[in-house]
Formats: sequence, C-alpha cells, structure tokens
Amino acid sequence: MTDIRTQSNAMEMIALSSAAEKNRLRNVRFRNIGIGFAGFLTLILVWKLSVNLLSVPSYILPAPEQVVVALWSGIAVPVSSPLGWYLPLWSTMSNALAGFLIGALLGLFFGSLMAEFRAVETALMPYAFALQSLPKVAIAPLIVIWCGFGDGSKIAMAALLAFFPMMVNTFAGMRAAEVERIELMKVLSASRLETYRLVKLPSAAPYIFAGLDMGIVYALLGTIVAEFLGAQEGMGVAITKAQAVTDVAGVFAALVVLGITGILLHLIVRRVERSLIHWADRGKR
Amino acid sequence: MTFAVDAPTAAGIGAAAVAKTQAAHSPLIAVKDVVKIYPTVAGEAVLALDHVNLNIGEGEFVCLVGPSGCGKTTLLRLLAGLDTSDHGTSSLAGKALNGPSEEVGVVFQQANLLPWFTVMENVLLPLRVGGARKTEQLIGQIKALLKVAGLEGFENKYPYELSGGMQQRAAIVRALARDPKLLLMDEPFGALDALTRERMNAELQRIWMASGKTVVLITHSIDEAIFLGDRIIVMSPRPGRIVRELKVDLPRPRVATEMLGNETHTALAREIRMLLE
Repeated sequence: MTDIRTQSNAMEMIALSSAAEKNRLRNVRFRNIGIGFAGFLTLILVWKLSVNLLSVPSYILPAPEQVVVALWSGIAVPVSSPLGWYLPLWSTMSNALAGFLIGALLGLFFGSLMAEFRAVETALMPYAFALQSLPKVAIAPLIVIWCGFGDGSKIAMAALLAFFPMMVNTFAGMRAAEVERIELMKVLSASRLETYRLVKLPSAAPYIFAGLDMGIVYALLGTIVAEFLGAQEGMGVAITKAQAVTDVAGVFAALVVLGITGILLHLIVRRVERSLIHWADRGKR
Repeated sequence: MTFAVDAPTAAGIGAAAVAKTQAAHSPLIAVKDVVKIYPTVAGEAVLALDHVNLNIGEGEFVCLVGPSGCGKTTLLRLLAGLDTSDHGTSSLAGKALNGPSEEVGVVFQQANLLPWFTVMENVLLPLRVGGARKTEQLIGQIKALLKVAGLEGFENKYPYELSGGMQQRAAIVRALARDPKLLLMDEPFGALDALTRERMNAELQRIWMASGKTVVLITHSIDEAIFLGDRIIVMSPRPGRIVRELKVDLPRPRVATEMLGNETHTALAREIRMLLE
C-alpha cells in the first residue's frame, strides 16, 4: 500500500517537474521575444528622437515613418507595377539563386576534388588563396565587360561570390572526416567513390551547410553589386534610382526589403539543414 | 557452486598451452616471423612487432593482453589488412593476408557507426560496398543476429538514439554481416561502464557460441580476457613480443558471478598480472 503511494507520488513528481521544465522553456522563449521587441522599439525610438531633436534633414536620414511610407508604397501596388518591389526583387532573387546554384555546385565539385586528390590541392591551393584574399567585388567591372549589362554578369557575380565559401567548406569538411570511419570503409574494401559518397560527403555536410548559408547571402550581395554597375532591373537598380533623386527613404526601404529577404533565405537554409542532418552533433553521444 | 574442472598450477597451464598451440594442425590464421617498424614524427623508428609468431585455430577465441604500446593493435591492424608488415607473412585459411579481406570482420574501439544511417543501414553497409554479394541468406542472417544482439525493434533508430552498449552490439552485428571467418575486436568494450561491459561480455560469448566464428580480441582487462578467451596471448611492450600463451580451461558458457573465487580463474589472473608487471 505504501509502495503504491510512493510510486504514484514519484510519477506525480516526474509529471510536475517535466511540466515545470516546459513552462520554464516557454517563459525563456517569451522573454527572448520580449527582449528582441524591446530592443527594436528602442532603436526606432532613438532613431526618431535623434532625427527630430537634431533636426537631421530627410535627405541625410529620413524619419522611421517616412521609410515605412516608402516601403508601403512599393507593397500596395499590383505585382506587375514598375513602382512595386515585386519586379526588381524577383529579378534580383532569380539571378542570385541561379548564380548561387552554379557557384555552390562548382564549389562542391572543386572542394571535393581538392580534398580527394593531393595533386589537385597542390595545383589549385595557391590560386584559391590568391582569389580568396582578393576583394571579389573588385572583379565586378571586369565581369560586366565580359558578360554585359544583362542577367549574365549578375549570375556570374553571384556564382563567383557563392563559390568560395562552398569550396573552402567542402574541402575542410571532407578533410575533417574521422579516420576511423574511413578505415571502416577500407576494411570493407569500399571503392573511393563509395567512401566519398557514403562517408566523406555526409561527414562534410555540416561544413557544407555552413558554406551554403554564407554562399546564399554572398550570392545576393554579388547580384546587387553587378546591378549597381548599370543594369536595367533589380533591387540594385531600385537603390541607385532612389539615390539619383536623393530619395533616402526609398533607399532605406529597399535595404529593409533586402534585409528581410536575406534573413528568409538564411532561415530556409537552416531549416533544410536541420531536417537533413538531424544527426549532427549527436553522433558521438 | 564451483566448476567441475581440475585446476592445474599456473605454470603448468602456460607450458601446456604453448605445447598445444604449436601442435595445432592447419591453423585458420598463421602469423610467421612478422616484424613491423613504425617511423615516429621525431624521425626514429619504433619496433612495434619483433618476430611475432602466432597460430590461431578455426573457431578459437583468442585474447591479446599487454600494456599500452605492446603492439597488440598493430598486430590486429595487420590481420585487418589496414597495415602491411615489414617482414614475415600472415595468412588466413592458407591465403596470404596482404589487404582487407571479405573473410575478416572488424570491431573498433568506438562503435564507429555512421551517424547518418539507421541501425539497419549501418549493419547492411558491408553488403552495400566493396562489390560484396548481397544475398537474401546474408540479410536473413543479419536480421537473426540483430535479434540475438537484442536490437530487434531498433532497426530504424539512428545511432544517437541508442545507448553505448547497444551501439557496440550493432557494430558487432555489422562486423559479422558478410559472414566472415574471422572477427577482430580492438578493445570493443573499453568505453563502456563496468556493469555494461560485463553484460556485453556475456552477450559476446553467446553470439560467438551461436556463430562459431574465430575471434581475436584485444583487451586491457584481465578478467575480460579470462572470461572470454580459449587462449590468452600476453605481449610485452617495445619491441612487441609474445611472452606467454595461456590456455583457459573453463567450461562454457561461463558466468561472471561464478568466476569470482574460481581457482582456475584466480591462478590465471595472478599469472597474467605477474607477466604484465
């Protein structure tokens, strides 16, 4: 009788403590959201107050509400309107994604090749380092000469910027593959391709995803830089057009659109990563 | 309760074992005069194995014990085909061992399961690579082994969802997937806690008795060696040499609780202890 009572007590305590833990986690989440929101409000407030109190002219720094108006004027239009964000954003996004895909695949390919063959590593490493240390946006004018003012140079620029983080991370990730796992494949007389596909590539996956995460943002950057150099459409063009008439609120609004786009792309990569490599960081437990 | 075994003196066991091994007819594994030298980073050469001779019969369970750096792992790596010897020969069932063989399964110190595969995918890996044959019969055997290893119902779990002991059992099943003649184990239970380890020893004994494989197991634990081995090979460090071979005359299946205070066990443990000092 006492046995049953203590047991049910224990069960109750377990239930209570797990409920308390859930509660605590929810509170932490609410608190974090609260802190984020408070920080954002403070930023807007300081912005608004400094613009008003220091009477900053709106061609230097527009007030927050002016940015909101500019942002909204681009949203509250038909999708096909030349005044909206939709067309330039679509242009920029499609070019950035195309470039990202090309750059990421090439990065994966060359990174794998360098990790797999010492000779390729020795041959390519100096150039990789040289190009890596070069500020790649400086190549943009050259690319515009080669690929013209159309989508070609934007895609090329995006691919170029997405390529390096992917190549470097693929290389590092594959080299970090655990020796024991490679020896396992050796004991099983696995072919080089089998070892690559079943051990080295999955081992490198966390690195590769970090590369993708960087690459997608860089691809966006590359596209915008190419657009600055005299393209006909895209977010970069929207920014230079607003700049030409000192519509600073318009520039800010475009930056907000790009910022949100970048965050969304980052979140998509993270989401895919979490569902694909759910085993990462837990493999050794 | 005691075992119905006459317990000879420690010295007697050693002498008898050596005599018996030399007389073994057509051994499954024959290691002859094997020398292995490792270059160190400092530029010196370390003599890891110094003219090692070893015969292992089919179905035998052999334990290698010795202090760290005595070349146990080196010997195992040679048998696994992960390294080559600098002198001497080793053969499996009459065929020279110069590289990885289908007839050899290896269990590493860590379970070494691939974290991106489920338990089932992990244990089937040996049938998937290296041009291995993937027959219904082998797959059926693996499923039966999973059951013996107490992994039934865990086939679709990922390694991180398993305890350390379960991971190591899955690794043993994987090593047996190709139905090899020889199973090599390098301190497979070293990372487990003492109680889990004892249970794993009993299970390994059960799996071994059911499968009839030849096993070479490296261990630091004298108790583990006596519990599992038909024969215990004691090695000395730098240069790695075999200093003594001891036969374990205890009936099977052995039970851990009955080992405590058993005379044969005590005598063997004492002798190995003295050899290792």
